[in-house]
Amino acid sequence: MVTGTAVRSAYGPGTETLLSGVLSGRPAFAPVQRFDVSARRARFAAAMAGSPQLDAEVAHTIREACDDAGLAASDRARTPLFLAVHGDPAAPRAAAAGRPAPGPQAFAASAAHACGLAEQDLRCYMSACVAASSAIGDAAAIIARGLADRVVVAGGYLVEPDQFALFDAGRVLAGDGQVRPFSAGRRGLLLGDGVGAVVVESGEAARARRALPLVRIAGWGRGGDAYHPCQPRPDGQGLARAITAALRRAGAVAAGLGYINAHGSGTAASDPAEANALRLALGEATETVPVSSTKSLHGQALEASGVLELIVTLLALRKGMLPVNAGYLGADDGCGLRLVLDEPLATDAELAMSLNCAFGGANTALVVGLP
Amino acid sequence: MTGPEPLAPISLGALLAAATEAGLRALSAAAWPEESADDEVPPLAGFIESAFSPLLAEVAARALRRRPGPTVPGTVTAIVMVTAFGDTASATRVAAAVDAGKRVSPLLFFQSVPNAVAGYLAARWDLTGPVVCVSGMSAGLGIAALLIDDGDADEALVIRIDLAGAGDGLDRGAALLVTRPDRNVPITA
Repeated sequence: MVTGTAVRSAYGPGTETLLSGVLSGRPAFAPVQRFDVSARRARFAAAMAGSPQLDAEVAHTIREACDDAGLAASDRARTPLFLAVHGDPAAPRAAAAGRPAPGPQAFAASAAHACGLAEQDLRCYMSACVAASSAIGDAAAIIARGLADRVVVAGGYLVEPDQFALFDAGRVLAGDGQVRPFSAGRRGLLLGDGVGAVVVESGEAARARRALPLVRIAGWGRGGDAYHPCQPRPDGQGLARAITAALRRAGAVAAGLGYINAHGSGTAASDPAEANALRLALGEATETVPVSSTKSLHGQALEASGVLELIVTLLALRKGMLPVNAGYLGADDGCGLRLVLDEPLATDAELAMSLNCAFGGANTALVVGLP
Repeated sequence: MTGPEPLAPISLGALLAAATEAGLRALSAAAWPEESADDEVPPLAGFIESAFSPLLAEVAARALRRRPGPTVPGTVTAIVMVTAFGDTASATRVAAAVDAGKRVSPLLFFQSVPNAVAGYLAARWDLTGPVVCVSGMSAGLGIAALLIDDGDADEALVIRIDLAGAGDGLDRGAALLVTRPDRNVPITA
């Protein structure tokens, strides 16, 4: 069960702000002000105002999620943290200056300490764009197996100059300032701020605290492409295996899904591969299950994507309104899906899926259901 | 599972003991360096300016070549990378270029996350399982066991890499191919 959430995105702090932002259908992309991009080809990202610091934002968000879940200090002290980040943000410049860098594990330990969480069983996930979704799947699996009764999973990425320069060098950033997943004329991805945290716990642990579950994590699956260092497998087999495993664990059939928040990066190679994966795993249901990629609205939050997008998915499910797939210009023959276009779609769906893919052919699928 | 681990030179014996403690059976093991000839990590095409990816590919290949017997068709192998600091050499290069107002090499984008070399390994050795990267060995072994128990993998290649700047001045790596003692039959997902 998920009993608490908190989030920060380019739309601002808070789940209500995020939900109203994505349901507005207005993408949060703007010219980057946070640092100098004059030497870059691309200019846009989805960033919140000011100069937020990752350590402070992560700690605030974790505390808010614990507050949302109603966790007492004694509960927090027994709860481990799984944190998804690219690494210790201070490390590259500390190393160059000959200073010792604490490293990602210490960064995560500092966040756990600041939030009164357990010092034991801490994990730091650094698996690129599936880091947070892997952590959520692992937390759900550990709890389902009775190895823990509660885990706080958090992820954080704030748009910064190093990753912006790398993605710019890789020529994957959309020069037109819009992310257009599954659309003709798509030009690439755009980075976006995302810091999210969820409290995941067993039904028994939630009941014992009289905590009301927001959603249940019904299924999870992971699969690899075995294809290329950074290109997705075109036939989508790795992602299809992850989707199939997640549905099997959820005890669900494809037609039972009421929404899919797709990985939908908006790049030329990734979107058709994902569409193929959906057709492989879901069959005819691909023609009826509504799909959107909310990266077209809040951007690509890298290691934090999985938790940001899971929160968007559960908020949409609870609200009964599905966000649009923004930036759409027209059909692409390789990406035939039932996209949510033009305006949010009202739904009475009780089950939804969030997909994430990463370099290395890493794929995850998470299925959430109303409790 | 345990708390934060101090970074210490890699001991293959200690890793094997930790794997056993995590309820895993090691099918094969490898390290870098293993012998006096291990003084320069073999280069890996497409990966530049850092020993991280070449070293990871080398120790992984050693462990996979030492697998006892042929691979059973359909075996699903996860890749679990463990690194206390990540690819500090690449990250430092990128930071220096950014601070100098320069463009960075597109090749550095392709190796900007540990997943990239995992993708190379997966394609080279047909490893179709999940790809994960974490910062602690106890977490890595726990994830390997969980992925196998969950049925998302039959076995896991757990690879630890520490670059020179992170420890005692030497690039070091180790890889264990592990499974659960009771798992003999490949899954078909």
